[in-house]
Amino acid sequence: MRKKVIALTAAVVMLAVLGLTGCETGPRFIKQADFDETHGIVLTFAGPVDADWAADKANFSVNEKPDPDILLNIESVRLDPGNTRLTLTLADALNQEQPHQVVVKDIMADGKPLGSTAVTVARSYFGHLFAIFLGALLIQNFVFSKYLGLCVFFGTSQKKSTAVGMGITFTFVIVFASLMSWFLYQFVLKPYRLDHLQIIVFIGLVSLTVQAVDTILRKINPALFKAFGVYLVLVIANCIVIAVPLILADNEYNMFESLMLALGAGLGFLLALFLMSSVRERLEFANVPVSYRGLPIAFIVAGLFALSFMGFSGMSIF
Amino acid sequence: MDPLYIKLAIGGLVLLGSIGLFFGIGLALAAHKFAVEVNPKVEEVKELLAGAQ
Repeated sequence: MRKKVIALTAAVVMLAVLGLTGCETGPRFIKQADFDETHGIVLTFAGPVDADWAADKANFSVNEKPDPDILLNIESVRLDPGNTRLTLTLADALNQEQPHQVVVKDIMADGKPLGSTAVTVARSYFGHLFAIFLGALLIQNFVFSKYLGLCVFFGTSQKKSTAVGMGITFTFVIVFASLMSWFLYQFVLKPYRLDHLQIIVFIGLVSLTVQAVDTILRKINPALFKAFGVYLVLVIANCIVIAVPLILADNEYNMFESLMLALGAGLGFLLALFLMSSVRERLEFANVPVSYRGLPIAFIVAGLFALSFMGFSGMSIF
Repeated sequence: MDPLYIKLAIGGLVLLGSIGLFFGIGLALAAHKFAVEVNPKVEEVKELLAGAQ
């Protein structure tokens, strides 16, 4: 009990520290700097600035953070009424993957000079990670919008308990397998230019992960092993588990992005299984025409789910 | 044949072989370390049963 409390406190403190480092502190006259659409950067000031000062393009310079020598072409500067929001429009579209630096010279507010400052404009990284996670979980759910892993999906969605067991086992395995394959791809296959062998290596890694989890779990936690039962071996037959490493390799994701995609894919599969099993449990008591009983009606239900998941398509977060 | 291709092929074979060997040894060690005693009679009884599903 005591140990649990200590562990919980440690976790909370760690999360708080992580959160604190996420937001910068200290007084700054430029409160916020964000990307606006494809060509713009919006600066928000703490107080109204002089319109004459803001009208001069020469007071601003924008560059991508890695190369400060290459200044981007500023097309126009627009100050919103209220004089606290300023929009810089650039001649070319911004590469928003890169953080940008905006240098603002000799800020004039209420006729007083406030000196020059530089601010960094970057897309929120946590937001980006969350978008990957939610994308894999809902918007591009692997089962309902990419139609992957259907054999296991229909095989284990007859009962809620088996569905949830399978989903959790699957999430477990896919996170391990994708992290390992990410590591092997980035540090072994790519440097030796053997990325054309990725499928063979990834298949091997998936079976390796399953075998390792099987061996270790059998000894360490027999109860959990019994609960996983036959599903652990079934995971190998699931194609999502091979699709995720391939997507990671294609998109050149880094480790955290990979983790988020794998977690999203696993939990998305769990969600799909849970939804499907809930419906199929009720279908048992429904008056289904004889020729549709069993799998056919299950496929129709899956199609309806896919239709409703289409409602998420095209959504973009952050 | 272009010596570059031969080099690439041999490199691939060696690398994949060593990956396989590495993980194979790892799995073997894991199996040894986390070995679970199984009652041999369970297997024997299973062998004697009809075995249809």
